[in-house]
Amino acid sequence: MTTLDTPRPPADEAPAPIAGKTPAWLLQGEMAMCPCGCIGKRKKGSFVEKTLDGSAGLLRQVMFGEDIAERPGLLQRIDPRAKLLSLIILLIAAAVVRNIVVLLVAYAFTLVVAYFSAVPVGFFIKRVWLFVPIFTGIVVLPATLSFITPGEIVIPLWTWQGQPVGITSQGLTAAGLIVSRVALSISLVVLLTLTTPWVELLAALRSLGVPKMFVLIVGMAYRYIFLLLGSVTDMYESRRARTVGAVKHDKAAREFVSSTAGALLGKSHALSEEVHQAMIARGFRGDVKALKTFAFTRADAFYMLVVVIAAAVIVLGDQQLGR
Amino acid sequence: MHIPDGYLSPATCIAGYAVAVPMIIIASKKVQETVKVRNVPTLAVLAAVAFLIMMFNVPIPDGTTAHAVGAVLIAILLGPWAAVIAVSVALLFQALLFGDGGVLVYGVNVTNMAIIMPFVGYAIYKLIAGDSHLTSPRRVVAAGVAGYVGLNVAALATAIELGIQPDLFHTADGTPLYAPYHLAQTIPAMMLAHLVVAGFVEGIICAGTVAYLQRANLPLLQVNHKDVPLTEAEAALRVKKRISPWLVGGIAVGIMVLLTPLGLLAPGGAFGEDAPDELPLGDLGLNAVPEGMARLNGFWNSAVLNGYDFGGDAPVLGYLISAVVGILIVGGFVVVLVWGINKVARKPAATDPSNTDDAAHADDAGSRTG
Amino acid sequence: MNEPILECIDVSYAYLDKFPALERVSMQVHAGEKLALLGANGSGKSTLLKVLDGLVFPQSGSFTAFGEPVTEESLEDEQMSQGFRSRVGFVFQNSDAQVFSPSVREEIAFGPLQMGMGRDETLTRIDEVLAMLDIAELADRAPFQLSGGQKKRVAIASVLVMNPEVLLFDEPTAALDPRTQEWLTGLIEDLSAAGKTIVHATHDLDVLDRIADRCLVFSEDHRIVAEGTPADIMGQRDLLLDVNLIHHHSRPFGTATTDPVTTA
Ligand SMILES: Nc1ncnc2c1ncn2[C@@H]1O[C@H](COP(=O)(O)OP(=O)(O)OP(=O)(O)O)[C@@H](O)[C@H]1O
Ligand SMILES: [Mg+2]
Repeated sequence: MTTLDTPRPPADEAPAPIAGKTPAWLLQGEMAMCPCGCIGKRKKGSFVEKTLDGSAGLLRQVMFGEDIAERPGLLQRIDPRAKLLSLIILLIAAAVVRNIVVLLVAYAFTLVVAYFSAVPVGFFIKRVWLFVPIFTGIVVLPATLSFITPGEIVIPLWTWQGQPVGITSQGLTAAGLIVSRVALSISLVVLLTLTTPWVELLAALRSLGVPKMFVLIVGMAYRYIFLLLGSVTDMYESRRARTVGAVKHDKAAREFVSSTAGALLGKSHALSEEVHQAMIARGFRGDVKALKTFAFTRADAFYMLVVVIAAAVIVLGDQQLGR
Repeated sequence: MHIPDGYLSPATCIAGYAVAVPMIIIASKKVQETVKVRNVPTLAVLAAVAFLIMMFNVPIPDGTTAHAVGAVLIAILLGPWAAVIAVSVALLFQALLFGDGGVLVYGVNVTNMAIIMPFVGYAIYKLIAGDSHLTSPRRVVAAGVAGYVGLNVAALATAIELGIQPDLFHTADGTPLYAPYHLAQTIPAMMLAHLVVAGFVEGIICAGTVAYLQRANLPLLQVNHKDVPLTEAEAALRVKKRISPWLVGGIAVGIMVLLTPLGLLAPGGAFGEDAPDELPLGDLGLNAVPEGMARLNGFWNSAVLNGYDFGGDAPVLGYLISAVVGILIVGGFVVVLVWGINKVARKPAATDPSNTDDAAHADDAGSRTG
Repeated sequence: MNEPILECIDVSYAYLDKFPALERVSMQVHAGEKLALLGANGSGKSTLLKVLDGLVFPQSGSFTAFGEPVTEESLEDEQMSQGFRSRVGFVFQNSDAQVFSPSVREEIAFGPLQMGMGRDETLTRIDEVLAMLDIAELADRAPFQLSGGQKKRVAIASVLVMNPEVLLFDEPTAALDPRTQEWLTGLIEDLSAAGKTIVHATHDLDVLDRIADRCLVFSEDHRIVAEGTPADIMGQRDLLLDVNLIHHHSRPFGTATTDPVTTA
């Protein structure tokens, strides 16, 4: 990733033989390390590889998000501060609501807003629901049983020590509530993330009172995640390139993780030293100055108004409907 | 361990921010004082490292994965305050960019993973490492145990926060409004996975990294260990002090006792229909524990009588029992651990301070316990 | 010759007090000149540039800039530091360290804003420098979406935007494709023609006579062992062999004679 200080030989220099200290075996091609000459298949799918695949996915995901944020659309036109504030208002409203219908209606609205904000709706739904069933849906299922959520049994299953056991209406409602609330909350966050360029989101955090220093750290960390990710990938690739034959996967992989963590920290520390120099070289003295200033337009004010009304409707509607 | 939005009541979220925001502010100040402007790039890069460490999901036998947080590791290398900032920033990314961990519950997640975890881990590391020299295997063991315990205490805190939800926030007919599981379920579920598997992952990463740095990058290890003697010979020149396992255990228990009422800080009169309205959100400091508990007890008695039909099994009792059992288990574990390490590592050292067996013994203590 | 604007006298520096990087180095930089630092890997070029930019401070010896001594204490002074930082710019060897902001535009804005330049002026300057370096279309990109050469351009833009008198370049052409190298060589010539003082570390001996009026040669024990015009230095094959800048198989350089035997 980082360029090493290797001198570039003049382009037209004759290839010099690396004679002398170079061991002879390095100068010859080698057919195969395996003495039996068999051709093996690389065992695929260690968790490190999966994580690294995931990290490529991460990059893709971030790029895709930035791409959507650049498209013309409803939310893209709104000041990021207004979007951030409204996210918080709506999240609180969602947290207060106890009626599933209200939550589902609000969720339907996020789909409409997504559509008008140039977010592919299919992608949007997938992104939210891929997360919800795994981490919430499955986990929440047993909670419908009378063991955990006692109450009125609507679907009796069996009896245990003379007591009927089954799915309770309270349990079902609770499961429905949490699944729909989590889905709505994630949708709201994803909408903000997808329609706001990261740089603007940072600037919005700053103008909403998050300390400038913290925001500067966040911005730089964002930048270095990708750099360090590249280093980890490189380390892994070079290790894999050197690994011949089957390795006991998990153990080797765990070892790799701790030595990578160590090397990564060392590298990061050296890097941070240099970044620090680069910052003071350009006059950094500990005080952060930001480029972006926002102007709150009438559209933003209108948007905020709509959001506040929507939040009020959600909360009031919830109280009207009761549960 | 990342709690998403929707699992916790707004009241608990407010309590989380009430803890997290002042701590982050103090941490910024602390770090700034100690390293001047240099902290900015260092913390930024560390936050990126914490993010990457959390990305490395390690497979665990039951088919799911667990991930380390890296908070204890960063605390060991650059101090717990630096870890507070680095992990908070990493969590902010996950919340805002990837929807991993919620925005409203950000404060709670920060409290668990960026505050409790590095401080508990660091305290344990300090206590076990004692005055051993920087290249001592004892420090590797200390890091391993610190990672293990730090992660588990954070998991316990998470379990408690989740587990109090159905008892505190539900409707008149008993429908839980947020996370539906009780402490009796969340504590065993969380702790089983973390005590048996995830804790070891964090421990292995901490120990492995410290061992690696002892070999490969001592200057980095020295950053936060300025006065620690490098070699055994240097260490032998200094007076050794003994660590009391009871002190360590006591500190661990104390921390957890402080944790217990975390979610009870704000019992949210506005959100549970039958919550007594004389419970103010603001003035329940950490020192109000017994009082708060007592009041809650009364509240539950009435809640049980009004809302529930099933008799003596009062949830607050369940809560108290689970909390006490959890605290006793972890506290006892720490006491036995430190006692064992002291015993194994110190015996030869008592007769001959420069005895190299010291190291070897500390090592097997490690492989046995952490 | 006129008064030097930067001057090192007997500067020594060792990393962590045990890895020597500079040994009693004395040198001067004069206004308007193009000075090249030559030397093998690890000979101390980057370290000298960091001394010249007030990023590391000599453990012995002194460094003076524009008539003022530059020390850790003197740079604590706000006015001194502002003045020095705005007059001397540094393009790092590693663009990844230098380009640290979340977007190109913010990266370039960092220096001027730190120097207290107004927002509007900063914005116009950014646009101009982006146009000058032909990277206007990258303005809102994130650095991780840039290639190495593009990052280098951004790093250069972020320094040029502050319009410093003295530009320090650490191996600017390393890892660039031939076309970009040629572009950068041209840029250095143009900047020099515009009156900038340029100091750069380089391994690029082919174009030395275009990018340097004067060269300093480092030996592998971190001392300056020779000084002269590019033609002078390139003519001394023994010297270059001695400091491991070239090896026996190297083709002799441009201006020297074509027969390696007679050169040696
Ligand atoms: N951060 C550091 N810690 C310890 N030693 C260092 C550090 N940076 C440089 N050195 C050492 O200082 C010496 C001079 O390094 P410097 O980077 O100045 O060399 P250079 O001439 O720029 O080399 P190159 O052509 O490879 O860029 C080298 O021996 C190097 O090993
Ligand atoms: Mg260099």
